Amino acid sequence: MVRLAIRDLLQGEHVSPATRAVLLDRLDAPPVRTPRFLTPAEFRTLQAACARLLPDARVDVAGPMDARLAEGKSDGWRYDTMPDDRAAMRAGLAGLDGAAQALAGAAFAGADAPMQDRVLAAVQSGAPPGPAWALPPQRFFEELLAEATEVFFAHPLAQERIGYAGMADRPGWTRIGLDEREDREPA
Amino acid sequence: MTPRLNGEVDAVVIGTGAGGAPLAARLAGAGLSVVMLEAGRHWDPAREWATDERAQDGLFWNDERLSAGADPVSFGRNNSGTGVGGSTLHYTAYVPRAQPDDFRLHSDFGVGVDWPIGYGDLAPYYDEVEAFLGVSGPSPYPWGPPRPAYKLPPLPLNGAAQLMQRGCAALGIRTSPAANAAVSRDWQQEGYGLRPACTNRGFCQAGCSTGAKAGMDVTYVPLALARGAELRTGAFVTGIETDPAGQVTGVIAMQDGIETRQRCRALFLCAGAIETPRLLLLNRLGRGPVGHNFMAHTGVQLWARFPERVGPTKGIPGGLISEDTHRPADADFAGGYLLQSIGVMPVTYASQVARGRGLWGQALLDHMEQFNHVAGINILGDCLPHPDNRLELSEELDGRGLPKPRIHFTAGENERRMTAHAERTMRAIFDAAGAQDAWAFPRYAHTIGTCRMGAKGHGSDDAVVDRDGRLHGHPNLVIADNSVFPSALSCNPALTIMANALRTADRFLEGR
Repeated sequence: MVRLAIRDLLQGEHVSPATRAVLLDRLDAPPVRTPRFLTPAEFRTLQAACARLLPDARVDVAGPMDARLAEGKSDGWRYDTMPDDRAAMRAGLAGLDGAAQALAGAAFAGADAPMQDRVLAAVQSGAPPGPAWALPPQRFFEELLAEATEVFFAHPLAQERIGYAGMADRPGWTRIGLDEREDREPA
Repeated sequence: MTPRLNGEVDAVVIGTGAGGAPLAARLAGAGLSVVMLEAGRHWDPAREWATDERAQDGLFWNDERLSAGADPVSFGRNNSGTGVGGSTLHYTAYVPRAQPDDFRLHSDFGVGVDWPIGYGDLAPYYDEVEAFLGVSGPSPYPWGPPRPAYKLPPLPLNGAAQLMQRGCAALGIRTSPAANAAVSRDWQQEGYGLRPACTNRGFCQAGCSTGAKAGMDVTYVPLALARGAELRTGAFVTGIETDPAGQVTGVIAMQDGIETRQRCRALFLCAGAIETPRLLLLNRLGRGPVGHNFMAHTGVQLWARFPERVGPTKGIPGGLISEDTHRPADADFAGGYLLQSIGVMPVTYASQVARGRGLWGQALLDHMEQFNHVAGINILGDCLPHPDNRLELSEELDGRGLPKPRIHFTAGENERRMTAHAERTMRAIFDAAGAQDAWAFPRYAHTIGTCRMGAKGHGSDDAVVDRDGRLHGHPNLVIADNSVFPSALSCNPALTIMANALRTADRFLEGR
């Protein structure tokens, strides 16, 4: 895999000050150890789920998700069939534990990775084993995955991983056609 | 607490997007005293805006809405803006015109409704808006009635546009560089100053930090201010006050935690197809189907991977257009759609992969490793009005203490057939262009309808406003945004909202 020297790119002339500030902050943010909204046990469940959804341990996905819930921020809509975001997260994480107990006799965070994947796949399919859910499991999974994915791919290390250099947009792009590449873009 | 009182003005305009901004500029230009109320803030793009999707979340209307029905519509970044400029802060600047037959769907197909106005009513305003914004586009334009040459040549085609062009050429589908409201050359904007030529950042949907894109913040809002209008930001309107005869006398707004009463001789509601009917319902104003006939454009996207490097974030996202599908010969549905090539930003794309394909774990990471080879095509198609697709006030309160809106949307047979036709067409185009692993993302775009304009005018049972935007029973309350659209039109709405806002302003001025 091609590696960008992402920090060098962010600190270089092609990145605007506003963009640099945001991305360096994100790159340098320490992983969240103490959740602000979820309980420590719930947070461990969320961390374990995110580790399977986006398996790259360098990026803290659960931390920003907990922070959003703590701040009560919305992305402007939710499915009417779902409870509010905080209640949905709590109920969904409890559902993961319930399904893991039914399948493996352990809490989700304590199950091994293949078992965690089985639980997640069952939730995604809409028919997890264990106690009945208080919300649609498929919608919970979709929302969980979508937010985790957005947090992950906003991180400079994830962007480096996919060869993305769009943040380095100064003074602009001139080589924009098929098979065209600026020198500052990865090969 | 008694609201702070402001002296009476000729006009209060709620919202500074594609409806409110041109309208305010027109009214101020006619010498009226105008106050623009904007719920969001006034950004300094060059200094504050990052080339980063997550950091730009503040451009979207993020007060929570409840999405119901069989095809629940996403809001926030999908279609709803806040801040001076409204949704034009994050539109892609794609500005096709509606075609004449878009306004008479019922006459032509026996379904949907006709507009009480026609293409001819809007044509001079299309001309005016395109010339004022500095639209970059092809001249002559291949579809629809003749129009004046665009002021600027088209923007360059990016990888996605070249791929769609290649696929369409193989199938005999005509294409053209699209009309985009981003300047392909340096442009002096009246009331604002220099808008430098587009640098192909490709982040239009996360805010244009250079001013190349014709958001209302760099075009009609500065024009309105230059003509003497006053702009108040962070002003969220909660109340509309009327006298016993139904005349609006003023509005109540929360601004910086202070409740303010602004008295006015006329009120212009330009808050979009969700907040406009919500405000009417909160204030028990308007008769007829307020909130009903909510529409969202059929907007299915087809994504695929190509052997060539595409670089999906570079260049204007919607570089290429085809309107050959405006009225397809083999259609089993009413109306039609346009085709556009689409670039995409990484977080948006990854999120759609997660929701649309359900990929996660290593499969998601592997898919995203090919991001630089991804291109898309999108349709923008008509949507028939249905009374059950509607907005209502829910029992749940938001952070402001107001009922959250609940929006019901279920696609009808016509939308489903059009989407299926479009997916087949796009798959054929991308197959011909050499695509691999093509996949469709079903999607509904824009917020339209909810305060339909009707031919019968005041007293009509099936309309909320008359052809000039006047609310039934409250003739000095005028609506000028996408909520008045009787049908969705087979084109992106921004240009038509602007054109109709200028027409509405002129009609109001003529009637004074």
